Amino acid sequence: MKKIHIVVIVLIALSIGAILSTYGDASTYEGFRVAAENPEKEYHVVGVLNKEKPRLYNPQENANLFTFYLIDEKGVESKVVYNAPEPADFERSEKVVIIGQMREGYFQANKILLKCPSKYNEGQAPKG
Amino acid sequence: MNEIQFIGEHLIYGNLGHLAVTISFGTAIIATIAYLFAANNPQQTSWGKIATAAFYTHTVAVLGIIFMLFLIIRLHLFEYHYAWQHSSTDLPLEYMVSCFWEGQEGSFLLWIFWHVVIGNILLRTAKSWKFEVMAVVMLCQIALTSMLIGVKILGYKLGSSPFELLRNAVEGPIFKQANYLSKIKDGNGLNPLLQNYWMVIHPPTLFFGFATTIVPFAYAIASLWKRDFTGWIKPALPWGLISVMVLGTGIIMGGFWAYESLSFGGYWAWDPVENASLVPWLILIAGVHVMIIYKTTGNSLIVGMILIMATFLLVLYATFLTRSGILGNASVHSFTDLGMSGQLLVFLFMFIILAIVMLVLRWKELPRSSKDEDAYTREFWMFIGSLVLAISAFQVFATTSLPVVNKIFGTNWAPPSDVIAHYNKWQMPLAILIAILTGVGQLLKYKTNTRKALISILTQAAVAIVLSVVAMFAFELTNWFYVGLMFAAVYAICANIAAMLPYITGKLKMTGSHVAHVGFAILLIGVLVSSANKRVISNNQSGMQLNPEFDAQANMEHVFLERGKPLRMDQYEIEYKGDSVNWVNNYYQVRYKKIGADNKVLYEFDLFPNAQINPKMGLVANPDTKHYISHDVFTYVSSVPKEKSTKFVHEKTHEVKPGDTIYTNNGYVILERVNSNVKEATDIKNLSLLIAAELKVVTLDGVYQASPMYGIRDNAEVKFESIVEEAKLRFRFMGVNPQTQTISIEVAEQDTSGDYIIMKAIVFPWINLVWAGTIIMIVGFLLAIWRRLQEYKRTAEA
Repeated sequence: MKKIHIVVIVLIALSIGAILSTYGDASTYEGFRVAAENPEKEYHVVGVLNKEKPRLYNPQENANLFTFYLIDEKGVESKVVYNAPEPADFERSEKVVIIGQMREGYFQANKILLKCPSKYNEGQAPKG
Repeated sequence: MNEIQFIGEHLIYGNLGHLAVTISFGTAIIATIAYLFAANNPQQTSWGKIATAAFYTHTVAVLGIIFMLFLIIRLHLFEYHYAWQHSSTDLPLEYMVSCFWEGQEGSFLLWIFWHVVIGNILLRTAKSWKFEVMAVVMLCQIALTSMLIGVKILGYKLGSSPFELLRNAVEGPIFKQANYLSKIKDGNGLNPLLQNYWMVIHPPTLFFGFATTIVPFAYAIASLWKRDFTGWIKPALPWGLISVMVLGTGIIMGGFWAYESLSFGGYWAWDPVENASLVPWLILIAGVHVMIIYKTTGNSLIVGMILIMATFLLVLYATFLTRSGILGNASVHSFTDLGMSGQLLVFLFMFIILAIVMLVLRWKELPRSSKDEDAYTREFWMFIGSLVLAISAFQVFATTSLPVVNKIFGTNWAPPSDVIAHYNKWQMPLAILIAILTGVGQLLKYKTNTRKALISILTQAAVAIVLSVVAMFAFELTNWFYVGLMFAAVYAICANIAAMLPYITGKLKMTGSHVAHVGFAILLIGVLVSSANKRVISNNQSGMQLNPEFDAQANMEHVFLERGKPLRMDQYEIEYKGDSVNWVNNYYQVRYKKIGADNKVLYEFDLFPNAQINPKMGLVANPDTKHYISHDVFTYVSSVPKEKSTKFVHEKTHEVKPGDTIYTNNGYVILERVNSNVKEATDIKNLSLLIAAELKVVTLDGVYQASPMYGIRDNAEVKFESIVEEAKLRFRFMGVNPQTQTISIEVAEQDTSGDYIIMKAIVFPWINLVWAGTIIMIVGFLLAIWRRLQEYKRTAEA
């Protein structure tokens, strides 16, 4: 066997490893129900903000606490806790993606991504 | 229905623009076909002439498109969708240039422009390869210019025109009015995140990098086409190096822009859009190394060709990823979907098929070696290093492609929730291998080696062990992977410097690879130290009991800072001093005082992180960074109150005579004199008396003047208050007391409880090594390009 063959085998093994690791580490888009069943795992939850319920951010008291209620795509609602200031333009977001895990009675979000209708100024008709 | 005659539109610009797009598309087709025939019929010179004429017409047409698009933006012709969507009247000229490539159409145009520039260079330098290489470039131009056509053909919209009229692009009742244009006063404006100096130069650099990858690809195709498997290396090699240099510079410029103007706190976020341009760069570096192996030893041609062709195909793949909308939730900064995914896929597969077909056709004829490789040579380890680079690229590619996998298989995978950990676990060991291999490879010679090489490899390793142990303590590295990477990088530096020494006098142009490798190793050290020892210093230090219901381990990285109330944060005392407005941005002045031992202030500086309250995007924060040689202090404002309080509180009235002093919470005030001859009073009518108290207001920050006034009109008192913004004080002249010969001055303090910022601050140690390493790497590439260009010139003359 030539050295190059050994190299090729190692190469293939590493590539398979890279693919497996991608799926091993990957999170999935799920709803709150699945997140509640597996509180040890981190999930991406896509949903909309419940504008009826309070959205609390009181920096004078705690600059690192923002709470709100999100309704996921299956219609399940949960309280969400985010340890950072309220993201800009949060109330105008069309869709919210939160990344984190379920705790007792709330979802701990480590990251929030917003889908704003206006983000790249698409689709608005000019006023006039 | 009658056609409405719209008023005030400047249709000539768009019509000329459309015409130029059509001509550029048509000439691209003609040129491709003509170059194809010219290549296959070398006896007939007429094909070459037609091709050249078509190419020059194409060049002029492309310049015409650019000129027209720029005029539309520059003249604020908002009847055009592109101008309306991406620009506004208040933008400075340099940002109008950025508007040009904010949209997809403009960035395609930029790419097309670079291909035209490259085509003009190739026409003069490619010599006997001219026709084949140009045919490939022009084939790509057909695909690219088709993206700008924007005409429906058989129900399918081909491309998206930058000259589309607003009234055709967007629906609205307003377009039923003939004078609609007079009601559109301004455009949508440029995305505030792109209003940055780096956004003016980063996109052209990156696109030049993308554009140059076609040249080695075209030479590889041409070599298969002509069955000349050796001759393509010399002309293609300088282009490959130029591409590595420019693309690398473009990527790191993007990182620098992110660091300077985005608030995620860093220069690299493993965002799919960043990854999409990193992958072809890594593959290209691997490809260039294998090309050099083939040039020197005659081995590994097939791998080299595959890597070089894969680079260009990966650039097309990156284009598909970022422009088809497929990244969706996975990336924060991909382009808007223009419904061109189908066309982009055709573009991608057209070239994938071309590359595969050409390789398959010549597969049997390609030279390959049958004997086993000698492991004690430079080419062996260079080859291994290239494969490690390819694995590194593949790993990034695999994770970045998750949205594509979801699309094909209908799965719902999301990116890893901790992307940094995911990438680190692969990229760090690979980086260690690559850094060590750059050293080993350089200390070995091609083909055969003596014991001397092994001795110097081991000697340098010993030196590197000593130095990296020192570095480990100096940079306080605790993780063993970090220590390993530090050793590898230090080894790369030592070995490359040792290998460079013989060339330093007289043969400077031979040192390109050494210099580039040293730069790369310094870059690695910079990345390692600045991220391993990155320190968020704005941790919650309020001492307030946090709600126990919530996660105690969650990071509390934002600090609440009330104006005028200093706070201790890490080794700094910080104070929010106030804000000011410039153009559309609000600047928040934050004073940092570095506190040393026994609480002495060592030095102080001000940072002005700014925020734009954008009507469309809310608060858009821009950080400000204090740069020191050994570290950066990075600060951004993450939240500000929606409305500031304008109340004044703690009113207190003082009876004073001229010369008297009033003490305030932040200094003192002296009544200098009482002025009964007030000039400003001329426009205030019917006053029987007007006197002003002239006050000198002294605070820690400065001395200000205030003159509250007191008057009588129709037997009633009138008071004119005076506010000193900087001192946050309000003065009122309350009255005169003839008995005691004093006047009453009321002093009130501004209510600052609603004047605060929420900010985050990060210290990045030794981040300058990242930029320094990059610059050294670029110098190395320049030297290498110089050397390979001279080699090419020599063969071209011979």
